Amino acid sequence: MTSLATEPAGRSRARRAFAQEGGAVRSGMTLAAYLFLSPYLALFIAFMLLPTLAAVGISFMRWDILGTPEFIGLDNYRQIFADPLFLTAIKNTFYFVFLTAIPMVVLGLALAMLLDQKLKGTAFVRTVVFLPYVVMVSTVGILWGWLFDKGTGLVNYYLTAIGIEPIAWLKDPHWSMPALAITTIWWTVNTNMIIFLAALQDIPEELHDAATLDGAGPWQRFVYITLPLLRPAMALVTALTIINGWRVFGQAYVMTQGGPEASTFVIVQYIYLTAFQNFEMGPAAAAGVVLLLITLVFSLAQMKLMKAI
Amino acid sequence: MQDQRSNRAGRSLGGRSLAYVLMVVVTALWGAPILWMLVTSIKPESEIYAYPPAWIPDHPTLEAYGALFQRFPMLTWFRNSAVVGILTTVLTLAVDALAAYPLARMQFPGRRVIMGVIFATFLLPYELLFVPLFLGLNSYGLVDSIFSLTVPTSANAFGVFLLTQFFQAVPRELEDAAVMDGCSRFGFFWRILLPLTKPGLATVAIFTFVASWNNFFWPLIATNSDETRTLPVGLATLVGGAGMSMKQSVLMASAVVATLPTAIFFLALQRHFVRGIAATGIKG
Repeated sequence: MTSLATEPAGRSRARRAFAQEGGAVRSGMTLAAYLFLSPYLALFIAFMLLPTLAAVGISFMRWDILGTPEFIGLDNYRQIFADPLFLTAIKNTFYFVFLTAIPMVVLGLALAMLLDQKLKGTAFVRTVVFLPYVVMVSTVGILWGWLFDKGTGLVNYYLTAIGIEPIAWLKDPHWSMPALAITTIWWTVNTNMIIFLAALQDIPEELHDAATLDGAGPWQRFVYITLPLLRPAMALVTALTIINGWRVFGQAYVMTQGGPEASTFVIVQYIYLTAFQNFEMGPAAAAGVVLLLITLVFSLAQMKLMKAI
Repeated sequence: MQDQRSNRAGRSLGGRSLAYVLMVVVTALWGAPILWMLVTSIKPESEIYAYPPAWIPDHPTLEAYGALFQRFPMLTWFRNSAVVGILTTVLTLAVDALAAYPLARMQFPGRRVIMGVIFATFLLPYELLFVPLFLGLNSYGLVDSIFSLTVPTSANAFGVFLLTQFFQAVPRELEDAAVMDGCSRFGFFWRILLPLTKPGLATVAIFTFVASWNNFFWPLIATNSDETRTLPVGLATLVGGAGMSMKQSVLMASAVVATLPTAIFFLALQRHFVRGIAATGIKG
């Protein structure tokens, strides 16, 4: 049953049959297809498509919860880009993406390669690394908030043990963002690891064996076999890591509330503050559209880059 | 094949030793915070801040758990999270599986467009939607309800994507044979397709439940009373402000209670995880 679902032969057979049938569309199939799709499409239109369009629309309007909406052109965008707090939020979020993106991809791959080996104990270590995935963000924040405590936290205790001066971490504007980055890597690198693991397990063993026979060392095998075959997984992992980086919020909200001195104040917290504490829906929607544009630009740039390599 | 893999891995004694050293380091770095959370939650007040930190409590006690459940509406938050998690998972599975079937196995006009639009939402930062969603639900008086926490999050692109891959792998001959025997499309879907793709359904179930259980930002906006508040939002109120005076043992007890359901769910179904992701086709 399982082999049926994952076996490549079964899949290509299905695809072939599918292609053959392409010309002769049986009557009633279109109706049936849309009947099956209708619940999803209804939810999708109501809670995804329309809200996306509405967000863009609201970003061009003055809209307080009570008053009548009014079209004001680009005023909301002018307002947020004149707001030092929004600019700080963009800068901080970019810094967070910068701090997390490379470690998340490199460490994710390194962990996957370490745990892909046929050694005793890899299954256990995989489970340990994956466990933080099931921990909710409030709990992650509560736990790491204490681990990073200057006086009673474990991090400083062990750093002191190896001769490093205690750091104030979450209370020090220079260290607060690195602390959030470390927390995030601990919490979410496992998703990247699991995607890489799935990809690694799909590389035929014969390729490595043939290369070894031809005299390729481990490093050459990694560069000329593993890396090229991992490219689709690499593209996915990089895109998800960067997009999720721009969307960071919960950790910062629970651990530092954006502080100290707004050093961890991020774009999504700006949206939250503007919309749901100041009730200025227009500027909040505009900030959301800016977030969308940023992630779009980064995704497109990353796709171009992956193609170029 | 499997044996050859072991050759590559453990060719030299040196390489194998290095791998084991790294595995110990990784286990320590990822396991220690979780262990510390468990250990602290059963420490009496006098031992919480002991120096040097003790990994084994001298006098283990459950008093932190007692204090947690006494002082906060933990049971209500817990129940809300469970209801929301289960409803969201069932709804997502049903809707996504129904949608994935025609996308995977039928030829019809609009198929490519629909696929493209659904998968484009992978790249969508959902935070964009929260302002209009809140305003929309608010105008129907649906904010702070179970509805607002379940239905809007159930059109899940990831589930459709994953199930489409699984459904495509089921041989066409099976469907032809079933139709020959007088089976309707829905009959095939329900009685043959779904039972054959249980690993895919399990993977979607795990991801959906964990995502729902841990969802933070939307419930933070969409709830404003303990009656509907879910665990992540409730727990966030323990820190910051009033929570600053909270004992670490109580905070860690809250962490253990919040993590237990997803940890059990995950450990029970984890063997499906890699298999499920392997089948998505991102493997290249």
